[in-house]
Amino acid sequence: MDPFSAEGELLNLHNYFHQGQFQEAVDFDTAGLSAENKLPAKVISLRAQIALGQAEEVIAEVEGEKDVELVAVGALAESAAGNESKAVKIAEKLASESADNNTVQILAGTVLQAAGKSEEALALLSQHQGNLEAVALIVQIHLEQNRTDLAIKEVAAARRWAQDSLLVNLAESWVGLRVGGEKYQQAFYVFEELAQAPATSSIQSLISQAVAEIHLGRLDEAEAALKQAIAKDPKNAEAISNSIVLNVIQGKDTTQLKSDLQSTTPSHNLLTDLQEKSTLFDKAATKYSAKVAA
Amino acid sequence: MASTSSPNMLTKFESKSSRAKGIAFHPKRPWILVSLHSSTIQLWDYRMGTLIDRFEEHDGPVRGVDFHKTQPLFVSGGDDYKIKVWSYQTRRCLFTLNGHLDYVRTVFFHHELPWIISSSDDQTIRIWNWQNRSLICTMTGHNHYTMCAQFHPKDDLVVSASLDQSVRVWDISGLRKKHSAPTSMTFEDQMSRGNQNQADMFGNTDAVVKFVLEGHDRGVNWVAFHPTLPLIVSAGDDRLVKLWRMSETKAWEVDTCRGHFQNASGCLFHPHQDLILSCGEDKTIRVWDLNKRTSVQSFKRENDRFWVIAAHPEINLFAAGHDNGVMVFKLERERPASAFYQNNLFFITREKHVRSYDFQKNLESPTLLTLKKLGSPWVPPRSLSYNPAERAILVTSPADGGSYELINLPRDGSGSMDATDTKRGQGTSAVFVARNRFAVFNAASQQIDIKDLTNSTTKTIKPPTGTTDIYFGGTGNLLLITPTAVHLYDIQQKKATAELTVAGVKYVVWSNDGLYAALLSKHNVTIVTKTLEQVSTLHETIRIKSATWDDAGVLLYSTLNHIKYTLLNGDNGIVRTLDQTVYLVRVKARTVYCLDRNAKPKTLNIDPTEYRFKLALVKRNYEEMLQIIKNSSLVGQSIISYLQKKGYPEIALQFVQDPQTRFELAIECGNLDVAVEMAKTLDEKQATPWPGWSRLTTEALAHGNHKIVEMGYQRLKQFDKLSFLYLATGNEKNLTRMAQIAERRGDFTARFQNALYLGDVTDRIAMFKEIDLYPLAYMTAKSHGLEEECESILEATGLTEDQISLPTLGSPLLPPKPIVSTFEANWPTKATSQSFFEKALLGQVEGLSLEDEPAAASNGFGFEETGDDDGAKRNGGLAEADEDEDAAGWDMGDDIVPEVESDFVNVDSAEAGAGSSEAELWARNSPIAADHVAGGSFETAMQLLNRQLGAVNFAPLKPRFLEIYEATKTYLPASSGLPPLINYVRRTVDETDPRKVLPIIPRDIESLATNDLQKGYTAMRTNKLSDGEVIFRGILHALLVNAVSTASEVEEAKKLITTASEYTIAMSIELERRKLGTDEQVAKSPEKLKRSLELAAYFTIPKLEVPHRQIALTSGMKLAYQNKNFNSALSFANRMLANGGAAKMLDNARKIKAQCERNPNDAIEIEFDQFAEFDICAASHTPIYSGSAFEVCAFDGSKYHSKYKGTVCAVCGVCEVGKNGSGLKLVA
Repeated sequence: MDPFSAEGELLNLHNYFHQGQFQEAVDFDTAGLSAENKLPAKVISLRAQIALGQAEEVIAEVEGEKDVELVAVGALAESAAGNESKAVKIAEKLASESADNNTVQILAGTVLQAAGKSEEALALLSQHQGNLEAVALIVQIHLEQNRTDLAIKEVAAARRWAQDSLLVNLAESWVGLRVGGEKYQQAFYVFEELAQAPATSSIQSLISQAVAEIHLGRLDEAEAALKQAIAKDPKNAEAISNSIVLNVIQGKDTTQLKSDLQSTTPSHNLLTDLQEKSTLFDKAATKYSAKVAA
Repeated sequence: MASTSSPNMLTKFESKSSRAKGIAFHPKRPWILVSLHSSTIQLWDYRMGTLIDRFEEHDGPVRGVDFHKTQPLFVSGGDDYKIKVWSYQTRRCLFTLNGHLDYVRTVFFHHELPWIISSSDDQTIRIWNWQNRSLICTMTGHNHYTMCAQFHPKDDLVVSASLDQSVRVWDISGLRKKHSAPTSMTFEDQMSRGNQNQADMFGNTDAVVKFVLEGHDRGVNWVAFHPTLPLIVSAGDDRLVKLWRMSETKAWEVDTCRGHFQNASGCLFHPHQDLILSCGEDKTIRVWDLNKRTSVQSFKRENDRFWVIAAHPEINLFAAGHDNGVMVFKLERERPASAFYQNNLFFITREKHVRSYDFQKNLESPTLLTLKKLGSPWVPPRSLSYNPAERAILVTSPADGGSYELINLPRDGSGSMDATDTKRGQGTSAVFVARNRFAVFNAASQQIDIKDLTNSTTKTIKPPTGTTDIYFGGTGNLLLITPTAVHLYDIQQKKATAELTVAGVKYVVWSNDGLYAALLSKHNVTIVTKTLEQVSTLHETIRIKSATWDDAGVLLYSTLNHIKYTLLNGDNGIVRTLDQTVYLVRVKARTVYCLDRNAKPKTLNIDPTEYRFKLALVKRNYEEMLQIIKNSSLVGQSIISYLQKKGYPEIALQFVQDPQTRFELAIECGNLDVAVEMAKTLDEKQATPWPGWSRLTTEALAHGNHKIVEMGYQRLKQFDKLSFLYLATGNEKNLTRMAQIAERRGDFTARFQNALYLGDVTDRIAMFKEIDLYPLAYMTAKSHGLEEECESILEATGLTEDQISLPTLGSPLLPPKPIVSTFEANWPTKATSQSFFEKALLGQVEGLSLEDEPAAASNGFGFEETGDDDGAKRNGGLAEADEDEDAAGWDMGDDIVPEVESDFVNVDSAEAGAGSSEAELWARNSPIAADHVAGGSFETAMQLLNRQLGAVNFAPLKPRFLEIYEATKTYLPASSGLPPLINYVRRTVDETDPRKVLPIIPRDIESLATNDLQKGYTAMRTNKLSDGEVIFRGILHALLVNAVSTASEVEEAKKLITTASEYTIAMSIELERRKLGTDEQVAKSPEKLKRSLELAAYFTIPKLEVPHRQIALTSGMKLAYQNKNFNSALSFANRMLANGGAAKMLDNARKIKAQCERNPNDAIEIEFDQFAEFDICAASHTPIYSGSAFEVCAFDGSKYHSKYKGTVCAVCGVCEVGKNGSGLKLVA
């Protein structure tokens, strides 16, 4: 059964997870679920746990499990815990053995992509049979590869069979933020709708809303949204990194935010990238010098 | 024609009675007179639905009735042949007009003259003067019963209808002339009058038949004039309603409205619209289009034949009388369809135009769209739902069983255009439920369709049976309204998630934060949460019309005549009264926005203090309460009793001045200090002890505050209690005093008691002796072993010991001695925490002090503030030093960025593999260095800057490079488990063509001019020159790597560069002077002194803003004057005076000038020629006289002696002096 259909009893759980309401997803009461849905529900719940930063616990929990789904969860947890090579090994094994399993596709695909093996990830994910999560992942990988054109196609195709699904809306908004123009506004509406409704609001959607607002040039609104996000979780790397960007655009000081980011997520793209560019600058600047020293 | 009951006709009031034959609306009040077949006349308030009065003097049916337009009068005519004039104030019949010889059918007042017109079965029409109560005209001519006769609303005409099948129009101008005040009448007038009004056969010229209208082929029951046009409508027993037109000379039949299938009994023109209304014995009321004579709508009653119909002269109300009473109704809803989003209200006007209204600007837009084709012409749209994401509206109309249209609003209101690209469908109601979904409810089929924006159904929902309406229920949810309950329905899960029993809900109003909704029914407001849990409910006797939420979560709702508020907890009250019905749409601060019945936006002012206060109280937001208390006169008995009732006596206490109330409140909240204070105040005014003390003492006793108890007992003179208190607290001293007092008062019981408490035996004995109770005295003495005393008593009584028989004596009683002096202080109680309020009132809460600290304005230069140099005019007065950098003919900057089109991403190929990131595109898209920096291509950026400006030293630009780079990328959290998606921030927000997108560049020219430049000015003014130098240099660096969009901005940027450059030079000159050392050190070394004087003089050269130049001049002048360089000082003084400015500063300059003019010589020779033109070398800070060779910095235009060619510019610190380039490129 399609887990995203309105009738599915896992709908709320899925929505929680994809809206970034991870705690709600973990707390989801699975007792009343039918037998066939028990395992998928557990997988989601474990993934939410990983997203909450409890990868080690999850590794311990799935230790020795035989279900390929849970093995895949284990791979994801390893990847999140920083054991990339181990994760990739499991993922590659899974990809060759049980490539037709939805969960394996998604989780192994995520692990591979996270390890930079985009081609392998795409190859695995493209075997999906009407799985929106896989679509969303493919879209993200395309975007990461700067292939907006492919991402647009992917979303358009998904739209045809899964019009109103949360994931399609999200994926379309991701693409929209790349395309720009009117799409900024549309993406903004999707994020805002999620972020402002108390039932669906999460840090993730707040940040997404703020990002859309930055792109739209609505800096004050973006600031408000980011403040809300930071108030909810002062250590959220994305909230901090986007605040840095916003402050720079506004011409404000970012020293404090940068040290916050440095202490919570030293490996954040913003910091590493900046470090790299700083080196690049110094190197490039040496090519020039004044004819006469002052 | 099939009689379909109209969806539009809205019954507002119904009464049950015998057959109603006559009806009249009061022109101002919500009253209606109904004359009945049973001889009664009823006066109803149709708004409240109450019977105000009954008038019963007629004998038999009363057929005609009318209110006077201005006087408190009405007239009635009945089957007793009588016309009666009544006062509804005194509720009496004033007089009766007798004359008719048969039933009186209708009576009407004249609109201005004191006349009444009546028609009667005696075939006459009569006009009466009700002031002198006389018959002034009898109009004969009809040869059957006259059923109706009415005055023309303006002209001197009468129209009448008769069972003789004719309608007659009469000219009564003769009657008016005769009865108006006598005026001089010329001969011609008399002649013309004589000719015009041919006398009828009785020689009567007062009223003559003007036209006889024949066309009905049965008797005519009713006839009426059009209020403005020369039209007449009549209704007859031939079941027809006929429309007639007349001119000066003739009248003719225009058309017939066919439809009634029984006698048509009444008809009239709609007072404001092109409509005719008629009623008949076929139990219908029918509405006709005046211009097309087609039926617009009809209303059928089951059992009751209609006899009469009347219109309210002002508002959209009608009344019809039938066999069993009357009904008051409207033809259409007057609630304008509207929806608001953020600061815009979208609404549909009476003309079916869609408009918007901006709350912030208080501005109504021009017509955005016309909806002429929506529904039928006479049916206004019912509802409007707005979708901000798509800028689309969803309009529903009740016409034809209900229909909806989905229309995109044009981006700009470019005039009244017909809606294009409209999507339609059938449905009772339609609302947006998500960005790209709307729900359509069809009442007939009891089905809800969820549709997408292309109008195709994506889902179908079966609502609970009996659903009447649907409303938005929060994202992805619907509220389904049934007559008895409201259901919350989750569209995705396809099931009702909650249900609440509320009867008759008509409207749903969501709070601005989407957490609460108000369910409005006719007389109830129910507030629910978004999960449909009831929060509160309230009942109104007057009909509730509309509601809107305050941003703070207070619901304001309007009834027919009030705006009221309710808090979430159900506390409610009146905000203001209304003189006409309005529909609230929004409330902001003190302004309520609403639409009136003509769909015109209006604003009303309200005083929100009361509900704000109550809200603050509920939320315990004491700061706000305090603000309200301090800033408004919200001290009324009502608020105090409200606070007291709600259990906040301690807060109420803060409001009250009246000592009695304060005392009561203080007792209630246990604030004894205040209570004592008040008690004292109150006590002073009383002759006898004030009874309130006893309450205070009781309270204080409960608190264990014995000091106050003591005081209370003292005041009340309750000595017994006081003594006991002293005993209990161990206060022996006071107990002794009590004993003395008792002695003085001669109160022996008290004295005895005190003595007992004190254990004072001698006193007890003395007392017994005093009152001759020797036996007791003896006993006491004996028992305490006071033998001497015993002796003396025996002596005094003349008895001996043997004569006395003593009982056995126990051991003497002695009260225990207090160990601890409890009385010294109150028993320790838990310290009462001061309420926030008290603290705030004592001024202990930070930030609440209402006085502002005096702004500390210090001027670091140590001399007079130089006027209003706030730098508002940021570009004014700047040097016009726009140098043409390309003068040398070099032009090589642009060539280095070849625009290679073929190099573009192969966008269309679907092969896998990575593409170029947007950042890479930027460098390709733009020849501007800043855009290359944003794209991370630092090498090419440096190359560009080097070519354009000769930039060589990039180190100072590093922060700027990184700043720009950093600002361009956002991090979007996407799939869990993967790093965030990086997106690129553009300054071309609306651009989607990858070949044209350009990155955002932080700190654009505008932000530099409004922020950094002002900061720099401030640094100058406040003498923080090293900061200032950094700021201005920062401006230069920011401008060096920047991008603008227009040529005019380039000019602005160039000006800004010049300004920053001049200030940087000026500041570095002054800083160098200060580096020479303190004044004393400088004075010691002649060399340093000379340099110091020179630098001070050069400081005046750069082109600063006038107030800043004055600072430089003042400082230079002072220094020169102190060092007796009077000539220089004089020149500075002169320049200052030429610049103008603050009076004090100029005075000072004048004084110096006067001093210097006596001896205009410099004591120290300096290199400063005040008369020569020269620039300052930015490196050496020495003059470059005009004519001598110099080099410039290609970027900031600072000048240098030739020997500095090839060095790094001292001003910007980046470019090589004398290296020319293509010039700064800021625009693509």
